[in-house]
Amino acid sequence: MDDAERVAQIMVIDDDPDTVKILAHYLRREGFNPVEATSGAEGLRLLAETRIDLILLDLMMPDMDGFAVMRELKKDPMTAEIPVIMVTARDDLNARSEGMGLGVADFLAKPVFRKQLGNRIRAQLEMVATGRATSAALSRLEASQAKRP
Amino acid sequence: MAFEARVIDRSYATVHSALIGEHPTIRKLRALIERVARQDVTVLITGESGVGKEIVAQAIHDSSPRRDNPFVPVNCAALPHDLLESEMFGHQRGAFTGAATNRAGLFMSAGGGTIFLDEISEMPLGLQVKLLRVLEDGMVRPVGSDRGLRVDVRVIAATNADLNAMIARNAFREDLFYRLQVVPIVIPPLRERRSDIPLLVDHFLAQARVRHPGARPLRVSDEAMVHLWSYDWPGNVRELENLVERMIILCESDTIEVSLLPPNIANQSRTADEIPEKLDERGIDLNKLVKSIEGRLINQALRQTGGNKQAAARLLGLKRTTFAAKLRRCGVISPSDAD
Repeated sequence: MDDAERVAQIMVIDDDPDTVKILAHYLRREGFNPVEATSGAEGLRLLAETRIDLILLDLMMPDMDGFAVMRELKKDPMTAEIPVIMVTARDDLNARSEGMGLGVADFLAKPVFRKQLGNRIRAQLEMVATGRATSAALSRLEASQAKRP
Repeated sequence: MAFEARVIDRSYATVHSALIGEHPTIRKLRALIERVARQDVTVLITGESGVGKEIVAQAIHDSSPRRDNPFVPVNCAALPHDLLESEMFGHQRGAFTGAATNRAGLFMSAGGGTIFLDEISEMPLGLQVKLLRVLEDGMVRPVGSDRGLRVDVRVIAATNADLNAMIARNAFREDLFYRLQVVPIVIPPLRERRSDIPLLVDHFLAQARVRHPGARPLRVSDEAMVHLWSYDWPGNVRELENLVERMIILCESDTIEVSLLPPNIANQSRTADEIPEKLDERGIDLNKLVKSIEGRLINQALRQTGGNKQAAARLLGLKRTTFAAKLRRCGVISPSDAD
């Protein structure tokens, strides 16, 4: 399907199934396609088989927390460029500082508001689209130059 | 006429600050700019105010074979419509009242170099037709003259307006748009690439040291950096640069702390749910505030107990089931938003 028409697939990783359910509901209302995971491990497994455009990642999870998931994502070139929005407490400066260092694209404070969620996601998807358009412009330029004698 | 092409004399570092960053999109943008510089094509740069459109245009010129010839920036919004044409294309003596001598326009002054038409959306439709002709046949026609003059200029245009929307309501010529947009360059707003904010801050701090070699090295505290990272930067890179300069002047130690940040940046994450000292006429939304504070305390408890819900419930004096219900309601979900 053409990229422009495709509904963006947003993965939610959170250990609380109810939270996942409600965030998924918000995502559908904002016009996205949610992909649900209730642990970091499940999220990483699903990423291998599904095309995901953005990840909403809870920080506090048992076993593998949001930072650990983040480190795994960055290790794999297939997932390293997927924007991650991390969900943290509003004033958790240490968490945000660590997340910044790990390459988090944005943070959302709890409680999450649907409109804000939608806007933050759209901003990141826009950025990815800009990156694609930039690559396309570069390819066209290279192709036109190659044609010249 | 006081309007003259500005003399551009800036260090390489300043000129390229819009392109600093390691975000994948910015890396692609740098590759595109490097490549487009070598090819003599028309470029249209779009991006919000303050993202550095002129800096990118200058970077393209500086890396192009035209680099030893003039780079002439023209702000199409800064001149009255009726003067813009003679400024751009020049005029002949007697062409209009006050035209006492012949005058070469900015296109001629940019000969062999690059002309940068900023805020191209502000160009009147009549002049758009004339610009299109210049792009098509490489001839400028001074006001009052029926003879065209050949000119060798590369055109780079920029806008923060949505030209597609303007075309739809006939405020911008579609043929000119396609002629300009041979290579489209989109510069993203800073809030879409927050991960580059620390790099930009370091860059601006280092630049200040180049300008003032005697100055002591400054760093930004982790907490202050989180606030800079979280702010939305409506004025983009330019706003960040101005802020860093301001902080350098105000800073009396070797570390820039949160206390030096302007209130709109330092308080952004708290203002919404702080208890006001005095209730003003607009009043407050008590339910929303209470829920928000409840949510913050729940988060605080979870953080302190490393996510252990039972221990967090104990800290808050709640039964485990009550806590679980509150967590669902407040922990991550905004109750006012659930429908």
